[in-house]
Amino acid sequence: MTNLETSLKECLSSIDGATAAALVDYTSGMALGTLGGSKDFDLEVAAAGNTDVVRAKLRTMEHLGLKEEIEDILITLNSQYHLIRLLKGRGGNGLFLYLVLDSGRANLAMARHQLRRIESELEV
Amino acid sequence: MTAGTPAWATHATTSAALGALAAEGATGALSGERGIVYLSEGRVVHAESAFAPDLATLLTRSGAVAPDGWWEAVDEGGRHHRVGRGLVDSGRVTAGALEVCHLGALFDAAYFVLAHDTRPRRFRPGAVHWLGTVRSVPVDVVVRESRRRRALLERIWPDPGIDTAPLVRVADAGSGDLPLRRGRTLALVDGVRTAADIAAALACRTYHTLVELRRLAADGLVTAAQPAPARDRPGPGAAVWDDPDTALLRRLRDALEAL
Repeated sequence: MTNLETSLKECLSSIDGATAAALVDYTSGMALGTLGGSKDFDLEVAAAGNTDVVRAKLRTMEHLGLKEEIEDILITLNSQYHLIRLLKGRGGNGLFLYLVLDSGRANLAMARHQLRRIESELEV
Repeated sequence: MTAGTPAWATHATTSAALGALAAEGATGALSGERGIVYLSEGRVVHAESAFAPDLATLLTRSGAVAPDGWWEAVDEGGRHHRVGRGLVDSGRVTAGALEVCHLGALFDAAYFVLAHDTRPRRFRPGAVHWLGTVRSVPVDVVVRESRRRRALLERIWPDPGIDTAPLVRVADAGSGDLPLRRGRTLALVDGVRTAADIAAALACRTYHTLVELRRLAADGLVTAAQPAPARDRPGPGAAVWDDPDTALLRRLRDALEAL
């Protein structure tokens, strides 16, 4: 039985290089669940901040007249990947999974694939 | 605290009363003007408001759970406050999806209860919601999030009437080329439906719908229907909607069925 916590745990345990995960409501910026993170990496702050990233992209798409949906957003840092994956289910409208990966250990294509599977457990 | 007056009743706002109940580790249901917040050992386990579609609406209208399946789960588990668990155990919905949906409904309803932060009406100690505990959230998180949502909505368009009144399209306003979701929302504005009706029709969370509606209002496309609901002068025939204590009604029904 997969609940929110176990889904986030699965993100960290089954995805190579994953160090933190959060499920975030990007309309309000609230994190519904977080796992991982540390005192140097406040996931609540990351959740709220990345909400702005998602909103900015959505707004840009509106201005461009693009009627597509965002599947995921990848941010590449020197030593980390930050992967933002928007949930698609109707009940999951307005939510994204946020995953922090150690770029030295992560397999990005595999991470995306696994995230899709975990995501399906959370979608209505 | 004076003898006979419980601590929650000495507070002038619902949020302060919730804080006092949380500090006591209370279990029960606090009714405010616009809805009910359920606590279990001082944490919020559920919230309901007539201004936001409930979990049943979100789950059945989105097609996640068939209406028959929902009512079966209510019949089987309602009496024992295990409806949520039953939905998951019977494989109708995954635990994660139910939690996400439940949190959505909880924060949506709490926004309405706390946006109208007046003196609470009553507290029923020991009252438990028929859904059962799906997930619990600290009171301060719920209060903080509700305030943040109110501020975000204010920033988009400072008319709280949009949240509760029937909505009308502004005549002559061209709808232009709207983003998908906003266009879908605007299509449901018909002079009769309120934000809650539109959210229910879209099987979409109320807060997201409120964001779209306030944006439409800011763009001059939508406005609250005039005259405002007969709150100021309830005349004959004017229905003043008093939010029904749905939990109580359901408990009554459960009790009657158990006879």
